[in-house]
Order: sequence, then structure tokens, then C-alpha cells
Amino acid sequence: MVLHKYGEKLYSGLVTTMTWHLKEIAKSIEAAQGGLFLEELNRKWGDHNKALQMIRDILMYMDRTFVPSNRKTPVHELGLNLWRDNIIHSHKIQTRLLDTLLDLIHRERTGEVINRGLMRNITKMLMDLGSSVYQEDFERPFLEVSASFYSGESQQFIECCDCGDYLKKAERRLNEEMERVSHYLDAKSEAKITSVVEKEMIANHMQRLVHMENSGLVNMLVDDKYEDLSRMYNLFRRVPEGLSTIRDVMTSHLRETGKQLVSDPERLRDPVDFVQRLLDMKDKHDKIISIAFNNDKTFQNALNSSFEYFINLNNRSPEFISLYVDDKLRKGLKGVTEEDVEVVLDKVMMLFRYLQEKDVFEKYYKQHLAKRLLSGKTVSDDAERSMIVKLKTECGYQFTSKLEGMFTDMRTSQDTMQGFYASQYSETGDGPTLAVQVLTTGSWPTQPSAPCNLPAEILGVCEKFRAYYLGTHTGRRLTWQTNMGTADIKATFGKGQKHELNVSTYQMCVLMLFNSADRLSYKEIEQATEIPAADLKRCLQSLACVKGKNVLRKEPMSKDIAEDDAFYFNDKFTSKFIKVKIGTVVAQKESEPEKHETRQRVEEDRKPQIEAAIVRIMKSRRVLDHNSIVTEVTTQLQSRFLPNPVVIKKRIESLIEREFLERDKADRKLYRYLA
Amino acid sequence: MRRSSTRKTGSAEKVNASSGSSDLFRSATSKAVSKELERIDHLFQAYADGSSGMIDPEGIESFCSDVEVDHTDVRILMLAWKMKAEKQGYFTLEEWRRGLKALRADSVSKIKKALPELVKEVTRPSNFSDFYSYAFRYCLTEDKQKCIDIESACELLDLVLGFQFRPQVNKLIEYLKYQHDYKVINLDQWMSFLRFCNEINFPSLDNYDSNLAWPLILDNFVEWMHGVQS
Repeated sequence: MVLHKYGEKLYSGLVTTMTWHLKEIAKSIEAAQGGLFLEELNRKWGDHNKALQMIRDILMYMDRTFVPSNRKTPVHELGLNLWRDNIIHSHKIQTRLLDTLLDLIHRERTGEVINRGLMRNITKMLMDLGSSVYQEDFERPFLEVSASFYSGESQQFIECCDCGDYLKKAERRLNEEMERVSHYLDAKSEAKITSVVEKEMIANHMQRLVHMENSGLVNMLVDDKYEDLSRMYNLFRRVPEGLSTIRDVMTSHLRETGKQLVSDPERLRDPVDFVQRLLDMKDKHDKIISIAFNNDKTFQNALNSSFEYFINLNNRSPEFISLYVDDKLRKGLKGVTEEDVEVVLDKVMMLFRYLQEKDVFEKYYKQHLAKRLLSGKTVSDDAERSMIVKLKTECGYQFTSKLEGMFTDMRTSQDTMQGFYASQYSETGDGPTLAVQVLTTGSWPTQPSAPCNLPAEILGVCEKFRAYYLGTHTGRRLTWQTNMGTADIKATFGKGQKHELNVSTYQMCVLMLFNSADRLSYKEIEQATEIPAADLKRCLQSLACVKGKNVLRKEPMSKDIAEDDAFYFNDKFTSKFIKVKIGTVVAQKESEPEKHETRQRVEEDRKPQIEAAIVRIMKSRRVLDHNSIVTEVTTQLQSRFLPNPVVIKKRIESLIEREFLERDKADRKLYRYLA
Repeated sequence: MRRSSTRKTGSAEKVNASSGSSDLFRSATSKAVSKELERIDHLFQAYADGSSGMIDPEGIESFCSDVEVDHTDVRILMLAWKMKAEKQGYFTLEEWRRGLKALRADSVSKIKKALPELVKEVTRPSNFSDFYSYAFRYCLTEDKQKCIDIESACELLDLVLGFQFRPQVNKLIEYLKYQHDYKVINLDQWMSFLRFCNEINFPSLDNYDSNLAWPLILDNFVEWMHGVQS
């Protein structure tokens, strides 16, 4: 027919016939009742497809020649279009089809089992008719209905569930929808439907969920609910602002609890416990982040910045962290393997990193280290060194050079003592044995103290040592730091029992006086020893007022030492131990005035550092404005402490006064370097 | 060093006489000038103390009463500035000559007449800053002294800045006496007071920016001012 120029007739004939036929089909589909409707539709669709195939084959010639030259729709496509127009878009079927589909999905959502194969065929049909048909006639209304469904459901859930349950439900719904897509919807719908669920179930309720009373994020953090947290993380990650919501709440929670921890006066009593709590808190949240939050970098940063925030709220943190290390290195690490020591020290270093006032830490660390070394209390040299190496890698050579100097002194002192005794071999009979630690001035946190009067026996040995030392090291000066030493003395008490007393140098001086007297007044002791009053009182207190260690007896019996007290040798002293260690009553933690003094020393030490930084900067920049100097100085010194802008300004003024810098004549902001 | 050397020229009269004669010789072409110089020297001798060869505080006082100006008057300070007098309370011959020659005055009455002109000259902005810093240095009486105490600073401030910036000076003095952070004022701070008065709106202080390179003492002052206002 095409060859005989009847192509047009054939084509329009095909259209009318097919249209008529499809209208019949439509009628029969419309007639189908209830559930049979979809099946009928599906069956007819299958028939139509088969028929279409055959028609196309028969009319292949027309399809090849007539259709392209006359710009007609190809037969197969024509068939589909007609199906679309006459069946799917037929007034009666269109809405019914949509309603049926949506109803089925709704039924499945509420737990019924539906014929998924049929559903798949129908949606496939819609897809075959063109993706716009699928989108217009099914997907868009589907998404709308879903949105309202989930909005309603989430409202209902959130009223009656706690946060954890809600998240579980949301997660399940999300999985269901994804499964649905994979079973009978077009793959492209997945992103769309999940975003609907995400929006309705998560994004819209995010704040409420996170802050939910008794079960919100804070509670999950407190109770270590890794699973819930992980679920929350994974769900919230899907929506914009989701993670930042979690992060913000976590940060403010951390800051709040941290602030409470560091400002609780109860906690300040025990520095070791204080630091241990900080470490526990860090561990706890590290674990949460690694288990539940996928080790998210931004969460780690939030954790770090929170710690940095609240640790520095308490200006005693540097002291306490050093005390913690002191405690660990004194006794806490006994019987612990080397690896575990490393773990503890690494954790401490992590806290150290948060400190803004690292120089304050250094001050205290030096003090504590000195005490440890001089009293021989350090548990492990390796651990000590390891800590210093860590500090060195963290803050550089300068930071630890003095600390290392202290170790060197200890080592050389040992050699010196060996040399001393080797040379004095013949002369040292049964006199007291002396152990001298020669400390380099400047490396040690020594306080200048008036030397006390040593007993004659000791003085003799000391003089011998001085002669020996100065003989081998000419040009040096030795001063005795009697406030830092210790002594072991043997004493015999009333019933002839012998004890070895481990005391400080001051205590030794006092006790030696009782070799020649049984009763001494406070004044007499003070005169004989010339120990500074405050130290003497503390020393007498520890000798006479501590139960089980009261080798002296005091009259009157009271807790405190008064100027007119009298002291007796306590021959009724007994102890279970042969060796008795008599500690001095010292506050381990610094007292207020001491703290103040350390603070002042720190401030003094900072001045030259700030000035040096300013001069360094100005030397290279020649001219610079005020704000830039402050910023640059701050960055330069950050690794040690956080300089106060006002202090920087003061230092600048001092440098102007000393004519290192001048103000620019014209520009208020600028300083100039004066070479 | 410089101060001691000038003192030497003041005390060694012979040197003075010879330098005077050389001046005479050089200016011999103009008789009037040499006459003027003679009269200036003559006036100097009238007030100078014979032994030190300088006009000492006593001499200055009698000079002040002759020109009918109180010796604490700012105009005397201006005169000292004109002479470039080195040491507070003393004028050397050299300084005396420098000042009087510049004023073109060789008698008490001429000096009196020259004073208003001198005030005008000093208050010209181009000169004032120099005069202002001179006033500070003039107060440094000790060797190596770099600061003056708050009390003197307040008096000096009142004297040299008071007639131009009365409200600022009043407040500043009130603050300086109130605060305890500073016991002395250095040149840098002193100069910044002038800059402050010249540049900052008063009393609103709305164009003061503490991020600029103002000395801390002014930051504190401004903070105090805000506190007082509110």
C-alpha cells in the first residue's frame, strides 16, 4: 500500500483501528472490579505489547520508508502513545490506577503483604511509556503522599517514643523505602523518596530529637549509647546541617560538663583525681567518636577545642597536670609495663597540648622533677626520660634543656661522689657518709636560702668534699642547699630498740642537737640551727606532732608549734618498722602565696620572651602596625603561652622607651624599628 | 655630657670673653648688632650669679619680676624654649644670647613687648609639638632621668596644654591622679597626650580606637572616661 502511495491511508487506518481497539480494552479494564483491576490492566498491557510487536513486524516496510519521510511517529511508539492516551490517561482509569497504586503502597507500609511482581510490572509499564509518564502519573503524587504519610507518622512517633526508638523507626522506614525502590520502582526514585523520608522524619525533628528530655543526644553521650549514637550519626549525616547539629550539641555539652569539672572546688582538692577525671572524660569521648561517629575529623576537632576551652578556664591546670605526672612517676607506675607507662604519658601529653600556659607547666614540672630527683623518689629513669623526650618533640629543645641539665647533674654527681670516696678512702672511718648532688645554678628551681648550721660531724665531711671538688674543678663556687637534702640517721630509743630514721637535712640538724641534750626550747633550737622560722616550725611539727613518727615530745602537747614550746627526746617512741621515714609536713599543692609567687615569676619570665619576639618581628618587618604585631607575637609564642594583648602593648611601650622602636610620626597605627 | 660642657662654657669666663670678642670681630661690619649684643650681655650680667657665671633660679626670679611675669608662667617656659635652655632654673650666657637675639630684644622693656609675639610663635602648630616635648625634657633634672613623676607631669600638662585643651587636660589630670598603675610618665606617653588632644573628639572620644598604637595609659584613660560617663 505504501508503494502505491497509500501510506497515509494505511497509517491513519492503523491509528483509528488501534484507537478503537484500545477504547474497548479500556472499557474492559474499567469493568474490572477491585483488586482485579491491576491484574486486568497488566494482562491487557502484555497483550497489547505482543500485538504491537506483530503489527510492527507486519508494517515494517511502512515503518522504514513512509514514517521517516513523512515525519510520523514510528509504529511501536505510536502504539505506546495510543495506549497512554486511551488507557492510562483515560478519564476513568487514570485516577483509579494512581489511587490503587498508592493504596497498595500504603497497605504495604502498614504491614500488609502485596503483590510486588504486579506492582513491578505496572511501574515498568509506566516507565515504558516514557519517564515523564512515570513521573507525572505516579512518582510525583507518590512522593507527595509519602511526605504527608511520614510527616504524620513522625509526628506520632515523636510524641510517644524516646529518641533512641524514634531513630530506630526512622532507620527502618528508610531501609523499607530503599527496598521498595529496588523491588518495584524505578531506580531513579530512590534518591527522591529517601530525601522525602529524611526530610520528614529527620530534618524536621532534628532539634527536638537531639534535645529530647531524658533520651536526647546528651543522655546518649552520658550513657555511652554507642548504637544509638551511631544510628543518629548515620541518619543525621543524610540531611543538611545534621552533623553540625550533633556536633554543636556535643560541644556545648562537653564545655558545660568540663567547665563544671574544672571549677568544682571539691575537685581542686585532689590534683591527681582532677587530672584523672579529665583523662577519663577524654577517653570516653574519644571512644564515642571512634565507635559511633566514624572517627569524624570535625568531631575530633570539636572535642579538642572543647577541652582546650575548659582546661584553660582553670589556671591551676598546668600545676595539676604536672602533679599528676609527679604522682605517676613517684609511685603510680610501679609494676606497670613499659608500654603502659607510655600510654599514660601519651595521654598526659595530650592534655598538655591543650594548655595555653605551657611555660607555667614547665615551671611546675621543673619543681616537681627536682624534688623527685633529689629525694630519689623517681620510679623509673626511662619513664622520666621518655616524658622529657615527649616534651622536647612537642615544644622544642629550649623547653627541655634545663630539665635535661638536671639529669646530667645527677649523673655527674654520682661520678663525683665515687671519685670523692676513692680519694678519701683511708680517712673516712665511721663518720657520716655524705652524698652530694652538685646542681648547676640556673638549671634547678633553687630558692636562695640562708644555709643552716650543720652539725660539726657533717660539717667536717662537707669541708672535705668542698676541698676535693674545688680541687678538681677550679674556679667554681659551691653553696649548700640545705633545704633540699635528706639524711638517714640511726637512733636508739628507750628500750634499746634501734631505728633508722629517714629525715630531711633540717630535721637531721634538729635531731643531732638531742645527742647532747634531752630538753631544748624552741628558741634554743632556732639559735643553734639558724633554720628559717617557717621551715623550722614545719620540721618540728613533723618530728613531734605526727602520730607514729613522733621521735620528739613537745610541751605543751598541741598541734601547732609556738615560740615558747619545749622539746624532749621521746624515748618511748616505738614503731613496727626498723626504717622510719619522717616526711616534712608540706603541702604538695601550692598554697595561695606560693601560687601567687610562681605566677609572678612566670609573668616576669614572659616579659623578655615577648620583647624578644617583638624585636625579632620588627627587625624583619621594619615597619608594622599594632594589630599585626600583636597577632604575630601571639603566633610566635603560642607554643609556650598565650600572651595577653595588653601585656604585649606594655612591652612595646617599654621597647619604645628604650629606643628599640618608635611610633610613626604620621600614622597612628605604625611602629618603626630603630636599628 | 653636653650639659656639663655647656656648664663649662658658662663658668669659664675667659673662654666666654674670647668667644664674645670673636663674635664682635665677626659682626664688626654692623655696629648696631654689636651694640645690641653688648646690651644683651650687659643684661645677662645684671641677673647672673658672679661665681657660677649663670643666671640661677634667684636671678630668674628677679628677671621675672622685672618683666612682670610670674616665674611659673608658661611664658617663661617659652622663653627657655627660645633660648634652648638645657638645665631647669638656669640660663647660660650662650642660651641667653641665643634667646634674646632671636627675640630681637636687648632690654627688659623690649622683652616684655616681645612676649605676646613669642606666645603666638609657640602656639603655631609647627612649633608647638617641639615646644611641648621641650617642656618635658626641660623637667628632666637628673642625669639619665627619662621619666617625670605624675605630680610634676600634671602640673606641666596644666601649664603647657591647659590654655589650648582645658577640658581634656582637666580630665586627664583627674585620671592621672586617680590611677595607681603608673607612677611616672615617659616621653612617649607625654607626646601621646598631645596627639590625643589634637586628634580625638572630646568628650565623646568616638574616634578613639584602642587597636591603634596608643599607649596603654590612654587606653585606660578612655576606659575610665567611659566608666565615668556611664
